[in-house]
Amino acid sequence: MKVFVYILIGLILTILESSTLSFLPIEFFKPDFGMPFIVYTAFFLGPQAGLITSIFIGLIQEIMSNSPHGSMLFTKVSIFIMSTFLKNKLYIDSRYSFSYICGGFVLFESFLFLILSFLSKGETKNIVNMMFYTIPNAIFTGFVSIFIFSLIEFLNERYLNREY
Amino acid sequence: MKNLITIIIAVLILATSFFIFTNTPLFVKGYVKVKGAIGEIAGPTLKIAGKPTHFIGYIFNSYFNLIGTKKENLALKKKLETLQLENQKITELEKENKRLKIILNLIEQAPDSMITARVIGEDIKNWFKCIIIDKGRNYGIKEKMSVITPKGIVGQAVEVNKWHSKVMIINDTNSSVDVYVEGKNTRGILEGTGQTTLRLKYILKNDEVEIGDKLITSGKDGIYQKGLPTGIVITINRNKPGIFADIEVMPYNNFKRLEEVLILKR
Repeated sequence: MKVFVYILIGLILTILESSTLSFLPIEFFKPDFGMPFIVYTAFFLGPQAGLITSIFIGLIQEIMSNSPHGSMLFTKVSIFIMSTFLKNKLYIDSRYSFSYICGGFVLFESFLFLILSFLSKGETKNIVNMMFYTIPNAIFTGFVSIFIFSLIEFLNERYLNREY
Repeated sequence: MKNLITIIIAVLILATSFFIFTNTPLFVKGYVKVKGAIGEIAGPTLKIAGKPTHFIGYIFNSYFNLIGTKKENLALKKKLETLQLENQKITELEKENKRLKIILNLIEQAPDSMITARVIGEDIKNWFKCIIIDKGRNYGIKEKMSVITPKGIVGQAVEVNKWHSKVMIINDTNSSVDVYVEGKNTRGILEGTGQTTLRLKYILKNDEVEIGDKLITSGKDGIYQKGLPTGIVITINRNKPGIFADIEVMPYNNFKRLEEVLILKR
C-alpha cells in the first residue's frame, strides 16, 4: 500500500509538472519529482519497492519527455541499484541529508545519460545543453525533496504507520 | 535471497533498457508497445490535469500584468513611435503577405489538410524540448507530420498515441530543418540548441546573409512543407576559423507560450 501511495504521488507530481506548471518560468531549473520517491523507497522500503517505483517513474518520465527510448528507464533503475548498494554507506538522518542525496543523484543521472549516449551512439550532441541545466536541476530537486520528505513522513505518521 | 533476486531482475532490466536505447529491433518493438499502453492511460490524465492550467495561467499573468502596468504604459508609448516608423515599411509587409498567402494557399488547396490541437503539456526534462498536444491517432495524426502556428513552424510529431501526441520542437538538439533565406539564394540547415535561439549551419562566409533576414523552409528535408516561416537572423559571426559563418536565429514562435497549434496532414 505504501509503495502504491508513493508511486501515485510521484506520478501525479510528474503529470502536474508537465501540464499545470508549464506556464511558470521554471525552464532553467526543472525539478525531478520522481527522484525523491525512488531514493526514499530504495533506502527505507527495501529493494522490491525501490525497483517497482523506479520502473514506474522511469516509464512515466519517458512518456512525458522527448528522451530516447529506454534512457529514463536505464537511468532510474541505475539510481535504484546505486541506492541499494549505498544504503549502508550513506546515512539519512533528516530531510536535509535526504535532499543532498536526491540532488547528488540528479547529478549522477545527468552524467550517466551522457555516458550512455556516448557509449551507444558515439556522440553526445546534447552535452552543452545538459551541462547547462544539470546543476540548477540538482539544486532545485534537492530543495523540493525537503518538502517531499516531510510529506512522506507526515503520511507515514498519520495514515500509513501501521502497515508492514 | 529475495533481495538478491530483485537486484538480478534490476540488472536484467538495466541491460534490456540499454539495448532499447541502442535501438535493437527485438527489444524496441515490445518496449514501444508497453510504453504506448501506459501512454493511453497517461494521455487522458494529462488532459484533465491540463484543464485548470489556462485558468491558473490567467491569474498568474493578470497579477504580473497589474504590477507591470506602469512600465508597460511607458513601453507602449515607445512602441507606438516605433510602430509609426514601421508602418512605412510596406514593402516588408508585402513580403510577409506573400508568405502568409503560401500558408493560406495550403489550407485552400485542401481544407482538410490541417488539424488544430491544444497544447496540454511540455517536456518534464529541460534537456529535451517537446510539447504534448491533445490530439492523437484518433484524429489522423501520424509521425513526422509538421506542426505550425500562423506565426511559423513549431516542430514535428515524433510519438503518436491514441489520445495525445508528442511534438519535437525545432529548438530541440535533435531537430534539423532545411531552410533558405527569403529573397536570397542561400540555403542552410537550421539546428536546435536546446536554448531559445537556433543555429543556422553550413552557410559560407561569403554567402548573402544579413541580420534581420527571414528564413523559410525549403521543403527538401521531406518533413516540413515548402515556404513555412521559421525564424529571423539575429547574429552573424564571420570572424571564426573555418569556411562557414556562425549564425544565430530567433524562431518566430515563443514555445513557452503556445496554446494552440496546427498539424499539417501529409
